[in-house]
Amino acid sequence: MTFEKNGEPLLRVEHLTKEFPVESGVFGRRANAKRVHAVEDISFDIYPGETFGLVGESGCGKSTTGRTIMRLHNPTSGKVIFDGKDVAKMKKRELKEMRRNMQYIFQDPQASLNPRMTIGEIVSEPLIIHNVMPDAKKRMDYVRELLDTVGLNPEHINRYPHEFSGGQRQRVGIARAFALHPKLIICDEPVSALDVSIQAQVLNLLSDLQKQFGTAYLFIAHDLSVVQHISDRVAVMYLGHLMEYSDWKTLYDTPYHPYTQSLLSAVPIPDPDVQRSRKRIILRGDPPSPIDPPTGCPFHTRCPIAKDVCSKDVPELREVAPGHFCACHFAEPNPIKTSSVDLGTK
Amino acid sequence: MARKKKNDNWVELKNQPVPEGSHLLEVDNLKMYFHTQDGVVKAVDGVSYTLDRGETLGVVGESGSGKSVTSLTIMGLIDMPPGRIEGGDVRYRGKSLLKMSEAEMQHIRGNDIAMIFQDPMTSLNPVYTIGRQLSEGMRLHLGYSKEQAMKRSIELLTMVGIPNAEQRVKDYPHEFSGGMRQRVMIAMALACEPDILIADEPTTALDVTIQAQIIELMQEMQEKNGNAIIMITHDLGVVADVADKIMVMYAGSPVEFGSADEIFYEPMHPYTWGLIRSIPKQIKDKKSPLTPIKGNPPSLVHAPKGCPFSPRCPYAKDICHQKKPEPFYTSTGHYTKCHFANDPDFIKRNQPPTSRSIKREAAAKGGEA
Repeated sequence: MTFEKNGEPLLRVEHLTKEFPVESGVFGRRANAKRVHAVEDISFDIYPGETFGLVGESGCGKSTTGRTIMRLHNPTSGKVIFDGKDVAKMKKRELKEMRRNMQYIFQDPQASLNPRMTIGEIVSEPLIIHNVMPDAKKRMDYVRELLDTVGLNPEHINRYPHEFSGGQRQRVGIARAFALHPKLIICDEPVSALDVSIQAQVLNLLSDLQKQFGTAYLFIAHDLSVVQHISDRVAVMYLGHLMEYSDWKTLYDTPYHPYTQSLLSAVPIPDPDVQRSRKRIILRGDPPSPIDPPTGCPFHTRCPIAKDVCSKDVPELREVAPGHFCACHFAEPNPIKTSSVDLGTK
Repeated sequence: MARKKKNDNWVELKNQPVPEGSHLLEVDNLKMYFHTQDGVVKAVDGVSYTLDRGETLGVVGESGSGKSVTSLTIMGLIDMPPGRIEGGDVRYRGKSLLKMSEAEMQHIRGNDIAMIFQDPMTSLNPVYTIGRQLSEGMRLHLGYSKEQAMKRSIELLTMVGIPNAEQRVKDYPHEFSGGMRQRVMIAMALACEPDILIADEPTTALDVTIQAQIIELMQEMQEKNGNAIIMITHDLGVVADVADKIMVMYAGSPVEFGSADEIFYEPMHPYTWGLIRSIPKQIKDKKSPLTPIKGNPPSLVHAPKGCPFSPRCPYAKDICHQKKPEPFYTSTGHYTKCHFANDPDFIKRNQPPTSRSIKREAAAKGGEA
């Protein structure tokens, strides 16, 4: 099943770049201070109702991308067009209006819920801020309904976050994000703090809610199997660059980029037979620092097929197959056998 | 730094043969409870397994299932009180570790059984150089001089793949990346050539590409030294990669123990089934929703009366809520703590499909056609 693109994209990210200055010197920032190149010239789009997965190792800039799209950081350059308007140029009032339609789910449900507010207050806060339900009684009924939708007991509306388990807290965060029925939710590692059995509950909940409300997700995670499971299209980031993106099936079946190939082959598969028989590419060394990124292709320092040109020219993100983009000078399809059989669930 | 005591009765256990009929490490119905103000926490409740040289045991379970506490108990690293051994035994080369004095245990730790931890930053001392920290164990256990130990440290760092070891040995932990620090931890653990290496979530804090490097390194080192590994992890993928034997833990007790193939292809316990169903699979054509385990793991203070998994088990009957199940053994030593483990029909009906069972079915169908 591939996702049908209908109409205009909901979100268009064009040449987005975000750099952070590294503070140095006694007198604060210097004009020529070093910069962390967190996000470098990335472009992609998200269609209504779609799940766009963003994967990469820690420090590759995937969270910064999510935060910059919502303008929790101001972009250094580039455009973020949401619903026809450029988020990067919005004034405060427009931003507030925009955030009615774009919400965020955070990784750590412990840190992202105010410990001094009841979950009823937490979930109703967006409704109060945007003044969509002025009647308090109605609002509380709606919050109860929402809690029920995300699988929490509506009677627990007056409890505090510490009275819930990790998975339940994440459900509160999800209820809060869905309170305004936004068009896009940025999910930043929503399940990585949870145990597998709880993780599956939350992933199913996110899929169900998407079906119910038609929300689009930007799903940021480091776990490739989770991203594959939930996403319609998947993009791979490395050192601030978008290396490759495509629909989930193509990306996992026929990855073009050597980084995607090695990333996929590094993921251990919970099936000893497959694990013993498959070929693995083990990368040497660590990712370079984003303060002092290598010239040319960001991956050339660890790339098994790097040539001279890789250290000189930055490869363009080009369409190697319909809907499949890859930034590599030598991109060629090289399917990796990830699993030999189809594991359907009973 | 305590010096090794010169004692005539001292026996280097590592060089002793494993007594006839026993294993390198035998954990026998080990029980360790914490006595807290809130009540008794049954952190380790009847853990049994055996381990031989060259083998890798994978311990899997969710957070709070007692995976780490079990190995800390074996190492004698649990504060007593609040902890207390309530029964069972741990035998290393036929000798009970639980009956050893603190001095004897100190000799075991690092020398015979070494441990690496999840977060290499917090387990390395930030104010000492890597070389000094590597030397500590060798000077203590092997009686090396400073120079000898430093020389060996450089060798060890080279062995675990740290470039320019002569220089790096003088560096401090913060000058290393996460993957490099974990390599240092492995070098440190292997410094005295231990029999058993306990690795507590060694790759959880690392990225997948670095994880693959570290796992490869641990396997290489095992091939070279022939040591046994106890790999504690929550990632079924990692155990599928490394383990010969697997113990699945839930609420302080092992619910199932068997060879890797048995656990992945012939799992017998409903919790193991739930775990296997919960992980996103490498699906080829279609996406189907995951089958999560309902509810949350129980609190260990107010543990359920019967089978600890009964409140979340979709197949639970009255007996499950009333009585704790006894382990059911198969002929191969594979055991399960479930009341219905002796019912092959029940297991066959509810087992999740695996790559092997699907292949078998396909072959059977092909034969008919």
